[in-house]
Amino acid sequence: MIKNIFLILLTGLFIISYVSCGDGNTDEPNFDDIPEDIPEAVQQIDENAINEILESFSSPVEMAALIEDLGAPFSKRYLASPDVASDYDTNFKKAIGLGVLSADLGYLNVYAKTGEIVNYLSVIKRLADELNIGQFFDFQTLKRLATNNDNMDSLMFLSTNSFRQMDEHLRKNNRSNLSALVVTGVWMEGLYLATQIAIDDPSKALRDRIGEQKMILTDLFKILEVYQGQDKNFEKLVQDFKEMNKVYEPVLITFVEGETITKEIDGITVVMQQDESLVEMSDEQLSEIILIIEKIRNKLISL
Amino acid sequence: MNRIILPLLFLAFIVGGVSEKSHAQCKQQVVYQCATNIDKAIYLRDFNTKLRKGKRGHSSGTKWAVVLNKGTHYRFTLCTQGGFENNVILTLFDAKHPEATRPYQVTKYTGNRKSSNRFDFICNKSGTYYLSIRFKKGKESKKSCAVGILSFVGKNK
Repeated sequence: MIKNIFLILLTGLFIISYVSCGDGNTDEPNFDDIPEDIPEAVQQIDENAINEILESFSSPVEMAALIEDLGAPFSKRYLASPDVASDYDTNFKKAIGLGVLSADLGYLNVYAKTGEIVNYLSVIKRLADELNIGQFFDFQTLKRLATNNDNMDSLMFLSTNSFRQMDEHLRKNNRSNLSALVVTGVWMEGLYLATQIAIDDPSKALRDRIGEQKMILTDLFKILEVYQGQDKNFEKLVQDFKEMNKVYEPVLITFVEGETITKEIDGITVVMQQDESLVEMSDEQLSEIILIIEKIRNKLISL
Repeated sequence: MNRIILPLLFLAFIVGGVSEKSHAQCKQQVVYQCATNIDKAIYLRDFNTKLRKGKRGHSSGTKWAVVLNKGTHYRFTLCTQGGFENNVILTLFDAKHPEATRPYQVTKYTGNRKSSNRFDFICNKSGTYYLSIRFKKGKESKKSCAVGILSFVGKNK
């Protein structure tokens, strides 16, 4: 009797682990360059803190939304080519590529360029499948929404929400190293878009946003450093981030305190923060940032 | 017969427990409805949580970190399961504006579809903020779920 119960419990544990961890993808994962599981030593460096920082970064749409709101015209030449990304052959490249293309998809969504969207959706789906997170990316529905071109809100929601679910799944399944790369890809591409637009139109809002990225860079750099021993691609990425840090070093960010004002406008409570962050960045510093971002981003998206 | 049925029932209980736990957050349909009910704002992300009455009066809930950017007009919207609209709150805070004493803002239920359980935040200082979703004090219930939506209204001109 005890033996039977033991066998049934063992089967039960197997089923539970399948129910909890199965991701519905039957393809063999491509365990090539980066370990799928984070070594125990790395996990001990407060993985919760790493996950909280990764989760806190903005959505793949926010930089694009700012750019569109500033009135910058759409340009396809800023975007990474989905054709190149479909040939990525390491988990490192796939995770970075997933982030970069998700930011580009956000840009296309914000400008409602549905004709271009399907190509990006196909490659994102392929990269996600190869990273075993494709079950969160409902390609058929997204494709239908993009093709019908009649429900941009749904398309925007589904693509952004799918991205967050994929990223969350990585973090919750002890694959924060890949999540860090996806987030890095999103961040690099958003900053690349902002800097490219700033070449033609260096508005104060865009300059400030570019300068403020010093804070994100500092946090992201600390996280990438944790994983640099895992793989030589990570090591190179950390070197690139060191270079970026150096360029960003003279940018000065200061804070001024103020009392928050709350008003009711058109029936909605509006909270107007009076604390302020101020960015000091010269034209030369901005030019250097534009150059370094372009160099590293192009290196990351190349084969 | 009991030798088989009892362990199987036990097994079903365990598996059922795991499945229930994994679905304790609000379903995607609730998130979708909440995210597409934000007027002309652009959906940025959602904060989905299960809520359960905690032990010794402590309310369960979740806290998230979120980076907000200067010069941006954000909208926070809270959606709950039917009947819980007046029982759950979404709070925006940071280290200088603690959740318990003087947060930036807490959602309020007004009954008005346009203004209820939502507020706008015009960010003037880039940095990390926190958002929590919890039962309102004294309104703790056994089990529910809630979703917060962060959306982009525009650049504050």
